[in-house]
Amino acid sequence: MKILRQLLDGSRKHFEDEGKLSFAKPLFDAMDNFMFAPSTRTAVAPHIRDPLDVKRFMSMVIVALLPCVAASFYFFGWRVLPMIIVSYAAGGAVEVLFAVTRKEDINEGFLVTGLLFPLVLPPTLPLWMVAVGVAFGVAVGKELFGGTGRNLFNPALVGRCFLALAYPKAMSAVWIQPGVDGVTGATPLVLAKQGTEKLAELSDLFFGNVAGSVGETSALALIVGGVFLLLTRVANWRTVVGCFVAAAATAAAFNLSDAAKFAPAPWHLLSGGLMLGVFFMATDPVSGPIKNGAKWGYGIIIGVITILIRNLTGYVEGMMFAILLGNIVAPILDEIAIYAHLRSLRSER
Amino acid sequence: MKLRPCLDISLVGKPSGVVEVLTEPEVLYLPLRSQRFSFSQTSVTEGQRILPGQILATDPDNYGVPLIAPRAGTVRLEAVENHIVLEDVANEPEQKYDDPNGGAHAAKDGESLEEKRQKLLSLGAWQFLYDAHDESLPDPAGTPRAVIVSTLHLEPFSSRGDTQMVKRLSSFTRGLEHIQSLLEYQPIYLVMPDTQSQLAGKVRDAIRGYAWVKVVEVPLQYPRDNFTVLARSLGLQAERGEPVWAVRAEGVLAIDRAMTLGQPCTVRIVSLAGPAVTSPVHLRAMPGYPLNKIIPSRVHEGATRVINGGVLTGETIDPAQQGLDAECMALTVLDEQVDREMLGFVRPGGDRRSYSRCFTSSLRGRFGESLTTGLRGERRPCIACGFCEEVCPAKIMPHMIHRRLYQGDIEDALQIRVDLCVRCGMCSLVCPSKLDLRGQFIEAQNTIRQELHVEEVQA
Repeated sequence: MKILRQLLDGSRKHFEDEGKLSFAKPLFDAMDNFMFAPSTRTAVAPHIRDPLDVKRFMSMVIVALLPCVAASFYFFGWRVLPMIIVSYAAGGAVEVLFAVTRKEDINEGFLVTGLLFPLVLPPTLPLWMVAVGVAFGVAVGKELFGGTGRNLFNPALVGRCFLALAYPKAMSAVWIQPGVDGVTGATPLVLAKQGTEKLAELSDLFFGNVAGSVGETSALALIVGGVFLLLTRVANWRTVVGCFVAAAATAAAFNLSDAAKFAPAPWHLLSGGLMLGVFFMATDPVSGPIKNGAKWGYGIIIGVITILIRNLTGYVEGMMFAILLGNIVAPILDEIAIYAHLRSLRSER
Repeated sequence: MKLRPCLDISLVGKPSGVVEVLTEPEVLYLPLRSQRFSFSQTSVTEGQRILPGQILATDPDNYGVPLIAPRAGTVRLEAVENHIVLEDVANEPEQKYDDPNGGAHAAKDGESLEEKRQKLLSLGAWQFLYDAHDESLPDPAGTPRAVIVSTLHLEPFSSRGDTQMVKRLSSFTRGLEHIQSLLEYQPIYLVMPDTQSQLAGKVRDAIRGYAWVKVVEVPLQYPRDNFTVLARSLGLQAERGEPVWAVRAEGVLAIDRAMTLGQPCTVRIVSLAGPAVTSPVHLRAMPGYPLNKIIPSRVHEGATRVINGGVLTGETIDPAQQGLDAECMALTVLDEQVDREMLGFVRPGGDRRSYSRCFTSSLRGRFGESLTTGLRGERRPCIACGFCEEVCPAKIMPHMIHRRLYQGDIEDALQIRVDLCVRCGMCSLVCPSKLDLRGQFIEAQNTIRQELHVEEVQA
């Protein structure tokens, strides 16, 4: 520990203004502050601060994703590991590049994006596509808007959306069946498009023994992580509840109208990317609305649209588009909630 | 206004109920500035021998609030910059305070309202009064709508009102009578933490029959003691020309002293607390008491920061300041952050309390934590977590205001009510992006006030 500290302190001079490596100062600072909490002091009142910082906030999401990552290793094997590594490397490179050019600190946000991104991809996707997708997502989805905290859309979903539009075949044609390597099959949602006779078993959906994107198959692992996020209050329960209730209600209504064509509500909740999307993408505080009232509306919109896309359009999965649409609507929902809030303050002086 | 429950901060370094009397000083260094006042008009000359209670200087911008000599001594004007130094201070014991010649009740005298208020002003008791909405000094010629008497000091490490009340209950209730005599018919709200407690019972017995005193219970949660928050929770909104006055327990005692004994108020109870203080206490001290006689011997070694006031709203004491200022209520001493914790953000964190539930400490019960001046993280753009809005006692949206101010749009910030900010510092405290929200809002409020003032002058 002391040796590492000395090493960092010793090499600091190379990264200062006069040093040969001064261009890489953000990188050095990020490393330094990653290994050792900075000793920065408060300048003005309040002189004490809460221990929570953005690093901790983001690492809570990563901790919450661990069950899901473990499940993906279990079902899809070691092919997941290079995907995660490539995603971190490419996403991190873009983040560092922007930080160095802007002479700003490297932001922790990409730690989450870099892990979330491979989890929403098909397990057979070539690694170069992973790299291209995450680079696009971080650069266009986040950095062009000014970096973490200023992005309109969820960067991981922007990257996925780009891949889905640019390489539709690679993104939707080949799915491997968990456990039996080399055997390909269709995802439960694809099968459901052909009527409710070939619906996957709920227990398979719950444990994750179905074909699908890397991290979306095991509802159990996602629920464990999601509940953790809710308990730590990193994710807001209003979005989650709103989304689940709306999706279930919409799916149930479809199922009532034509049970032979539309799958029942529990099946929809457990299948596809809904769990992953609701717990880990819709709850992203930056791209979602801030006001609690707006979060209800945001969750409901995402839930309803997901089921509408699944049941009524040519697409098999609607989660990605629903959340991106939700991201678009979020500022408007916020605006309404803020208006209501300000009205309640009108008499205050 | 409905209030959300705010932080219940449990920290190591709270002052005990003991009041320590400081030894008589030889030299007094009276700072010419304090939180609200700037005593720019000097009324003594170099080398003049002055009597205790004599006015040394006044603040012309604040109705001539006086800076009073607590002891007899020789004036040195130029010895220390921005200070009046009293040398050869006479050693005279404090006159016994709780020995009134007026008995248990305020004497009825023939003084008019104006005369009484002027008396308070010249005896240094008026400066214990605040305008509840902007914490400025109220106009002695003004008419308040109500007076809030607060026995609360909820900022961590601040002195507590009950410490001062407990032994001087009769002075306190007599002080309330005096305050009533300054008013016409306006109500006095007595704010207490627990109306069922023994002390509160005694107070209620003592004020039984004072129809003009209304006892209000407020829980012990910072910032419920903030005067603006108190006023709003009592339904007393800011109205032009109809101020609400506010005074703390020590102010009531000072008013009693001035009115009953006709003596100047020169002694204050100052709390000396914080994690860096070896044994936190209350001190009976006078303005001008040399800081270096108070602090170094009571603080453990290492780099420390001395704060005038509480940890959440106080200001770091300027190293050039030599003595206690005239308004000081609390000195808080914190250790400066030095250590760098290895991989701090991945630790379970059972030893650190957080507003969020991101540390294992949220599974523990209450425990005291020793805090330093560490920012505890790096500054980042707002991530819209919404914590600041949850803790805000004024029910405004700090994150939105921050965004507007970041864009430099002060008019927009006013539209979303930056003017309602009560400067409690809760938003800055909980912000995971370590933004200086409080400082930003104070700056915006001051700019808005200045512009309004310019408009008024032009009109």
